[in-house]
Amino acid sequence: MADRGQYLFAVARGLDPQQLGDVSGLRDAAIQVLEHRGLQAVTCSVDLAEFGEEALRRNLESLPWLEGVARAHDDVVQATALVATTAPMRLVTICSDEASVRARLDEWYDGLATALDRVEGCHEWSVKTFAAPAPDSGDDAAPKDASGAAYLARKRARASDQRAAADAAAQVADVVHQELGRRARAVRRLAPQDPRLTEFPGTMVLNGAYLVDDGSRETFRSVAEDLASRYPDAGIDIRGPWPPYSFATLD
Amino acid sequence: MDERRHSLTQRLETDPESVERDLFKLVLTVVELVRQLMEAQALRRVEEGDLTDEQVEGLGQGLMHLEEAMDELKARYDLTTADLNIDLGPLGTLLSE
Amino acid sequence: MSDSLPARREGQALAQISLVDLLDRLLGAGVVVAGDVVISLSGVDLVQIRLNAVITTVREDMPAPLTAGRGDRRG
Repeated sequence: MADRGQYLFAVARGLDPQQLGDVSGLRDAAIQVLEHRGLQAVTCSVDLAEFGEEALRRNLESLPWLEGVARAHDDVVQATALVATTAPMRLVTICSDEASVRARLDEWYDGLATALDRVEGCHEWSVKTFAAPAPDSGDDAAPKDASGAAYLARKRARASDQRAAADAAAQVADVVHQELGRRARAVRRLAPQDPRLTEFPGTMVLNGAYLVDDGSRETFRSVAEDLASRYPDAGIDIRGPWPPYSFATLD
Repeated sequence: MDERRHSLTQRLETDPESVERDLFKLVLTVVELVRQLMEAQALRRVEEGDLTDEQVEGLGQGLMHLEEAMDELKARYDLTTADLNIDLGPLGTLLSE
Repeated sequence: MSDSLPARREGQALAQISLVDLLDRLLGAGVVVAGDVVISLSGVDLVQIRLNAVITTVREDMPAPLTAGRGDRRG
């Protein structure tokens, strides 16, 4: 018989399993909600031939596999977050059986309780700012420099312009982060994303995550939109509301 | 992500034509890096102000020709500067522009 | 700016989240492009470390090989 494990999607508080609707787990496995000390662990059974150590090494390197699991994981987390205070787990958090899920919850209990308190009544928002892509194509159109000295002068001016632009973009990012932080319960600055991975052409400067109380949502949104129109060159991108992925970590 | 790969770990292409192109790309990347470093160094020296007009002119001419030569090489294999850039992860990208 | 605040669909997701944003958060390591063809996860090492953390968890829970008095879990 195949070895199976318990895949943990999220830990919630105040979750009524019936409200999860018909969201299914991975590979059509049924969602199981395990009640433990006032917390609810949202899990499903998985085949260790696919989710065990050896298999994960292979599978995590396959983008289609990763994307499929991430999306299915997110579907369950979103369904849970819609109806209860939720601490999302990272991808591939796997326990061997129900007893070990309970043991894990015991081990993490204080951290989980703190995380759930922190995210209660809140959602995550993502706000990103950018530096406009450097306009170097202008060089191609320019006539050939009259002299070596002129060439160097042009390069100097360009380097200086680039430095100034980078400084300006960093300053805008700081202002945006500070202003939004004032309207959020918690903030995190995530690593900027590589332009080759995203739809955004410019260099990402701010990759901000904001934990916003639902009651303050409209204020947050309007401050963000106001910043976007104040700094049109920063290409400010605003997304949400999302489950509080960035604020429920235990480490 | 127009060049999305299906596997997160990419094996080197085995097709001979693209091996040649990949190697060429690597060589050009190194040359471009050196060119940019030389240019940055030259600009620094010029800013320090301890070069004669002749030296500045000579430096500028040399770098200008180097840039033209690079442009020609890149064009031959249909590569842009962005194509040559290598991402070093936490260290940022290899080429600054 | 960008129209990125879709209305909440009935009984559905809270909002769209791009794959990069999702992986950044689910993997907790950031997704980067290394070289010009590979998508790695902040260096494969990080994935392995994280993998080990998961593996340790799984392993700790795996019952010990059959010993006297603990032959109940098998199948």
